[in-house]
Amino acid sequence: MLEIRWHSRAGQGAVTGAKGLADVVSTTGKHVQAFAFYGSAKRGAAMTAYNRVDDKVILNHEKFMRPDYVLVIDPALVYVADITANEKDDTIYIVTTHMSTEELIASQPKLEGRKVYTVDCIKIAQETIGKAIPNTPMLGALMKVSGMYDIEFFKESMVKVLKKLPQKIIDANMIAIQRAYDEVK
Amino acid sequence: MADTMELRDIEVWDGNMAASQALRQVQVDVVAAYPITPSTPIVENYGNFTANGYVDGEFVMVESEHAAMSGCIGAAAAGGRVATATSSQGFALMVETLYSASGMRLPIILNVVNRALGAPLNVNGDHSDMYLGRDSGWIQFDAYNPQNAYDLNFIAFKVAEDHDVRLPAMIHQDGFMTSHTAQGVATLTDEAAFNFVGEFQPMNDMLDLDHPVTHGVQTEEDWHFEHKARQQHALMTAALPKIEAAFAEFEKLTGRKYNLVETYNMEDAELAVVCMGTSVETAEEVSNELRAKGIKAGVIGIRVFRPWPLEQLAVVLKDVKAIAALDRSSPHGTVGTLYNEIAGSLFNTGTKAVLTNYIYGLGGRDLTKAHLVGIYEDLKANMDAGKPTTPLQQYIGLRGPKLSFF
Amino acid sequence: MEKKGWDGFEIGAMLRSFDGATRDIATTLPENRPYSQSNSFTASVADWRIEKPLFNKDYCIDCQFCWIYCPDMSIISRDKKMVGIDFDHCKGCGICVEVCPTNPKSLLMFPEQKDEEEALAEWPKKDKNAQAEEPKED
Repeated sequence: MLEIRWHSRAGQGAVTGAKGLADVVSTTGKHVQAFAFYGSAKRGAAMTAYNRVDDKVILNHEKFMRPDYVLVIDPALVYVADITANEKDDTIYIVTTHMSTEELIASQPKLEGRKVYTVDCIKIAQETIGKAIPNTPMLGALMKVSGMYDIEFFKESMVKVLKKLPQKIIDANMIAIQRAYDEVK
Repeated sequence: MADTMELRDIEVWDGNMAASQALRQVQVDVVAAYPITPSTPIVENYGNFTANGYVDGEFVMVESEHAAMSGCIGAAAAGGRVATATSSQGFALMVETLYSASGMRLPIILNVVNRALGAPLNVNGDHSDMYLGRDSGWIQFDAYNPQNAYDLNFIAFKVAEDHDVRLPAMIHQDGFMTSHTAQGVATLTDEAAFNFVGEFQPMNDMLDLDHPVTHGVQTEEDWHFEHKARQQHALMTAALPKIEAAFAEFEKLTGRKYNLVETYNMEDAELAVVCMGTSVETAEEVSNELRAKGIKAGVIGIRVFRPWPLEQLAVVLKDVKAIAALDRSSPHGTVGTLYNEIAGSLFNTGTKAVLTNYIYGLGGRDLTKAHLVGIYEDLKANMDAGKPTTPLQQYIGLRGPKLSFF
Repeated sequence: MEKKGWDGFEIGAMLRSFDGATRDIATTLPENRPYSQSNSFTASVADWRIEKPLFNKDYCIDCQFCWIYCPDMSIISRDKKMVGIDFDHCKGCGICVEVCPTNPKSLLMFPEQKDEEEALAEWPKKDKNAQAEEPKED
C-alpha cells in the first residue's frame, strides 16, 4: 500500500490533484483512493488531501494515515501545518518553496534528517498556467522523485484527466508538469 | 432522446458522482431538490447532465427539503421515475413527507449521504439521519464505498418500482468518507444500466386521464390501520424476496454479489463486529490482520437496514461467541439501534453469544484500525469469560475520561 | 361503503372516481357517469336534512344562482335551465333559497315531510312592496 498526504490551502487544487493522480493510477490497473478532510473550509484555509494506492482492493477507510509521501503545495504550510504528523522513518517530503532544500531545512528544523525534495510549484504554475495552482506541477515532481511512472505516459494520462479544460490550459499544465519533473531537487 | 455517455470500464468516482451517474443512466424523469452538504453534487451533477442533454428529465429547484420531497411525491403520483438526494438537517426536514411517500406507495429513490444532526452543526458523516428514517416505511440500502453507491441505485429502482413492492427506497452512503472519496468504480454501459432497471411502469398515475384518481386521501380509524397494515405487509413479505432477486440478477450482469446481510471471514468466526457504512470495510481489513494472528475475527455488514433482515442475521450469528454492535449515532437515552436490533434478532434463538455496544464516529470522528483491534480484544475477553467484561455500551474515539453506560 | 379487510383494496392512499376507463367525462351527465363506490356521489346524505328546498318553476328565471352557490352540486340544471333538486345529496342548508333573486322566490324551505303539491299551492304571491332582491354581499 502506497500512501500520500497532501498539505494545501483550500482552492489550490489538492483535491483535484489527488483525484487526478488516482485517475491516472487507476488506468494502470491498480486500486486507488483519493479523499480530503473538509471542515467548513474557506478558500485559503489549510487542509489535507490523501491518496492510497494498492494492488488489492482498498478496504481501509480510516482517515488516519502514516504517509510514504508528504506533498506540500503551499510554501507557508511548512511552518503552520503539522506536516510531519504520523510520519514513518522513510517518509519522503516534496515541498513547494523558492528556497533550496538546505535553506528550507534550516528554516524548519523539524525536517532535519528527513528525505526532503524541493521545487517551486507556485512559480512554475504562475509562469506556465498563469495562476498559482501548484497541483499539477507537484505531480510532475512526484513522478520524478518516486519513479512511479514514465513522465511521457503520465503526461498523456493527465491530458485525459484534464480533457474538459481549454486546450491552451491543458498545454500549459503539461509544460508545468515537465518543468517540475526537471527542476525538483 | 438523451445522448449516450461513453464511460471507461473503471472510472475513478466519488460516491456522489457514482450515485448521480446511476440517476442519469436510469433516466430519472424528475429530480426535485434542495441541495445540502455533502449530498449536493448528486443533484448538481444530475442538473448538469440534464442541461447537457444526457438525461431526458426535469430538475426542479425548490425552496426546502420538505418541498423537495413534496415535489417528488407529486411527480411520482403523476407517474414519473423520480429521485432526489439529501443529508442531515435536510433529511430531518423531509421526515414528514417521507411517511407520505411510503404511505402513498410511491417508488421514489432518495440518496441519503449520511451526516451528523446538529446541534452542534457539523457537515461530516455519521448515521444519525439514517436512523431517523428507520420507521418511515422506506426500504433502506447501505453502501460501503462508491461502487456500492452506484450499484445499489440500480437495485433500488428495480425493487421500488416493482408493482408487488411499490415502496420508496433510500441508498445511504457515508458523508465524505464515501461521498467525497474517489475510488475505482466498475461501470455499466448506459444501455446495460437502463435495461437492468427497464422502462418505468406507471401505476395509478394521475396522468392516466382515462382513470382519474385521488392521491393522498384522508382515512380515520375506519381505514387507517388497514392501510398501514397493507404497507407493512408489502415491506415485510414482498420487499426482501424482490431485493434478493434483484441482487441475483445484478450478479449475473456484473459479477458483483450483494446480500441482505454481508458476511466477511464469518465461516468459523468466534468474534463478530456488526456495523454499517465504510466501517464495514475497515473492519474487514482488521479482521484479515487478526486472522493472520490466529484470532477468529469476522465482520457483518448490514446491507439492507429496512426491512430489517432479522432471520438472515440470526443465521449468520448462530455460532458466534461474542458480538460488538457498532452504532455511528448517539442513541440518546438507550443502547444503540444495532444493539437493540441484533438483540431482538437473537433473543429467541437460544444463542449464548455475548452482545455489547459501541458508540463511535459521531460527526465524522475517525474510526481507526486501532479502535477496531481494541474492540476485538474486548470481544475475546467477553468470549473467554462467557459474559460481558465491559459495560454494555462504550464510547470509543472520545476524548476525556472513558464514557460508558449500563 | 363496504369496509374491506387490509388486503382487500388497491394500494396507496388513493381512491378512484370511476369504475373502469372513462372518456369525455366532462360531457357525460352525472347520472350516466360510472362513479365508483368510493366516490361520494354514490353516497346518500338525504337523511341529514331537517328542512328541504322545493322548487316552483313558475317564477324561475334560470339565472343559475342556485346552481352556482349550492355547495353540494345538488341543483340539477340542463342546458342552462333549472330542472330540480338532487335530494340524494342535498343537505338542506338553504343557500339556494337565500340566493334566489325572484319575487316571490322560486325556491323555498319546507319541513322535510311537507307534500310538494301542497307547498306549491301555498306558494306566496309577489310582494309589491319589496324591492328586487340582490344576492347579499357581506
